[in-house]
Amino acid sequence: MLTLVVTSLDLVASESALLPSRIQMAFTLACHVLLVPLGVALPSLTLLMEAIGIFRKDPTAIKIARRWSVVMAVQFAVGAVTGTILSFEFGILWPRMMGQYGSAFGLGFAIEALGFFLEAVFIGIYLYGWQRLPPRIHFLVGLVLVPAGLLGAFGVLASNSWMNTPGGVTISAGRVVDVDVIAALFTRALGYEYWHFVTALYMTAGFVVASVYAVAWLRGRRDHYQRLAFAVPFTIAALLTPVQLVTGDLSARALVTDQPTKFAAMELTWKTRGNNPEILGGLIDPSGKVNFGISIPSFDSLLVGYSPDAVIPGLSSFPADARPNTVEANLTHLSFDVMVFLGTAGAALAAWYFIVLIRRRTLPGSRWFYRLAALAGVGCYLCVETGWITTEVGRQPWIVYGAMRVSDAVTSAPASFVWTMLGTLVVVYALIAAFFVMVLVRLAARWSRQDRAEAPEVGAPYGPRAPTFPPQPDLSS
Amino acid sequence: MSSLAAYVTAGVLLLAITAYSTAGGVDFGAGIWDLLAGRGKQGRQARSLVDHAMAPVWEVNNVWLVLGIVVCWTGFPILFESVFASLYPLFSIALVGLILRGAFFAFRHIAQDPRSHRVANLVFGLSSLLTPFFFAACLGAIASGRVTTGGPQLPVWEACISPMSIAFGLVSLAATAFSGATFLVGDARRYGAAEMVGYFRSRALISAFVLIAIGSLALVTILLQAPDLAKAMLAGRGAPFAYTTMLLTPLVAILLWRGIFAWYRILAVAAVGSMVLAWGFAQSPYLLPGQLTIADAAAPPSTQVLLLAVALCVVLFIAPAMGLLYYLDQKSALEAPHT
Repeated sequence: MLTLVVTSLDLVASESALLPSRIQMAFTLACHVLLVPLGVALPSLTLLMEAIGIFRKDPTAIKIARRWSVVMAVQFAVGAVTGTILSFEFGILWPRMMGQYGSAFGLGFAIEALGFFLEAVFIGIYLYGWQRLPPRIHFLVGLVLVPAGLLGAFGVLASNSWMNTPGGVTISAGRVVDVDVIAALFTRALGYEYWHFVTALYMTAGFVVASVYAVAWLRGRRDHYQRLAFAVPFTIAALLTPVQLVTGDLSARALVTDQPTKFAAMELTWKTRGNNPEILGGLIDPSGKVNFGISIPSFDSLLVGYSPDAVIPGLSSFPADARPNTVEANLTHLSFDVMVFLGTAGAALAAWYFIVLIRRRTLPGSRWFYRLAALAGVGCYLCVETGWITTEVGRQPWIVYGAMRVSDAVTSAPASFVWTMLGTLVVVYALIAAFFVMVLVRLAARWSRQDRAEAPEVGAPYGPRAPTFPPQPDLSS
Repeated sequence: MSSLAAYVTAGVLLLAITAYSTAGGVDFGAGIWDLLAGRGKQGRQARSLVDHAMAPVWEVNNVWLVLGIVVCWTGFPILFESVFASLYPLFSIALVGLILRGAFFAFRHIAQDPRSHRVANLVFGLSSLLTPFFFAACLGAIASGRVTTGGPQLPVWEACISPMSIAFGLVSLAATAFSGATFLVGDARRYGAAEMVGYFRSRALISAFVLIAIGSLALVTILLQAPDLAKAMLAGRGAPFAYTTMLLTPLVAILLWRGIFAWYRILAVAAVGSMVLAWGFAQSPYLLPGQLTIADAAAPPSTQVLLLAVALCVVLFIAPAMGLLYYLDQKSALEAPHT
């Protein structure tokens, strides 16, 4: 009986856990990355709002800041859980990568941990401080959250950049014998990845927060509270959209030399050539033929080298086991296209906002503007996901570019084990997501009850009309 | 120089494990008493005390866990690889317990109907058993010498399930129940819940006896399974800590039995912490007994230096803040003011 169990276990063990491990890592990271923008950037927006409240003596701004700080804490708590899971997954799913490169790859995470601890401690102090600290001191204490978040992002991005452009290690007999700490932390990719990602975080946080109040506008709320809570985050995000286009462009062009296979996948380039067309949409097949796409002649060469003759690397110039496969290339390409399209759309929306603001000295009053602003939050989350897919799937088959394949890093655990864990995590994450949304919905309901309860006679028969909230048909536009 | 840095890094790792076992242990222990509280009026009262006592600090303890993980993979990559390659089932269960616990602790504050409340209580309580048992079982498996470098050489299940891993897991459960109960005695006193003081006092006493009994059995297990480790624990580097535990656990029981409510919490924490330190010091200089020493596993010196700089920052900035948090919590200074 026992031998039967053992042999069947061995049978299951012979199947590689590569596929479920990749899916599990992708799933848990895709969830965690959604929590990062507000985790890193919402404290800054909250502090800005608090500063407005303090210096303009505006109790509404203080009220908004106070509410945002609650959302910040709830979302940080969930992010702490999903982040802890990720750190264990490095060991459970990719032990060989950690054993080989932990001393260099792990450095960033040591710094990230410090940022995370600082943020955890100071979010607590900030929340408890609303009722206990003088306003200015409370604000100054909160300021620690800004560098703490940026430090955390630096740590994670340093580690991720190291996977993309590894450096700073001396290897002898297959083992890392020396690490140049500075070179390992500041690899080439960090320069562009860091700024592109941090800008993305602030932009996303701004658009996401503003989108909540764009919805409030569409439902008819038009008061100082709504205007302030919409305009501050939206302005920040809108100001960042052109910056993001520039850092995105720099990142993409750096990839031509830093990670040519990733760039080839992003542009679906099969043969290395000049006059390379820019392909919008489309799918590549195993023979290198691109179907369904719209092709703009020579435009890719022009974008990369400012000349139609610029030579662009193609997938077929690399061995099949050193470049993304067809499915991965298509996924990378489509994700990249979605990110660029949505990013450009965001910049257009920002332009609309500033044109109205400068010409009429007022916030836009168009329903369509607020409809798009309401969608901008979701759009940003999509950009974060697709940007992350571009960089991670585009690196395949490497876990450390050019140095270690994902298939060489994976655990020797049986596939059935990883599938089981993946299933468990999906269920647990669904529960956490449900609880998270429940908490946010309850908070929103409580706050809108509070806002309405200020004058009990409002809205009563013969009483003054309710300001504009609860929802009512919009008559002003 | 390089090996000195590695020893300091190993010390940081051991401290993180100790801090998690003590601070986290109090927290998990409260969860265990929550599970055992039953349905009656007294049970409800006990549960609401647990809830109230845990709320401000329950999450902060994860800091120690994350610190331990990061120090391990950066400072001792081979240790990290070997441990996870052999013990991933234990870690996975502990991890799932950890998430479920957090999620359902939060959920029971949102749940409104009694049925989902009961489910939330049950999941929260059960996961409070899972996590401390399985994390400690990992340490037991390491101490048993069944974790090998260069990939698992034993079938994974044999590395995971051994008398040592089970013994460590059970000691951990008893220890968390014990320290959890002593802190709940303190919480009951400061909230003026006289009935609950007696309730948790008797539970702290019972769990002290259980801890002494299970601890003795575990020691016998170590003597039989890992004689070298046992020797180092009783007559080597681990001895001062081992005897501290043996002295302090009964002392806490005596204090509580005589109704002397002073020092008992600190001493309970010291008892649990010494247990972990006894194992860690007895096993040194080996990270994996008989196979991998601290010096062998150490990452290059420059990495150690950066890691120690980070650890120093944690000690300088984070530890005082956390100390203040624990202190304010024990002083009831974190309750919302009544307005």
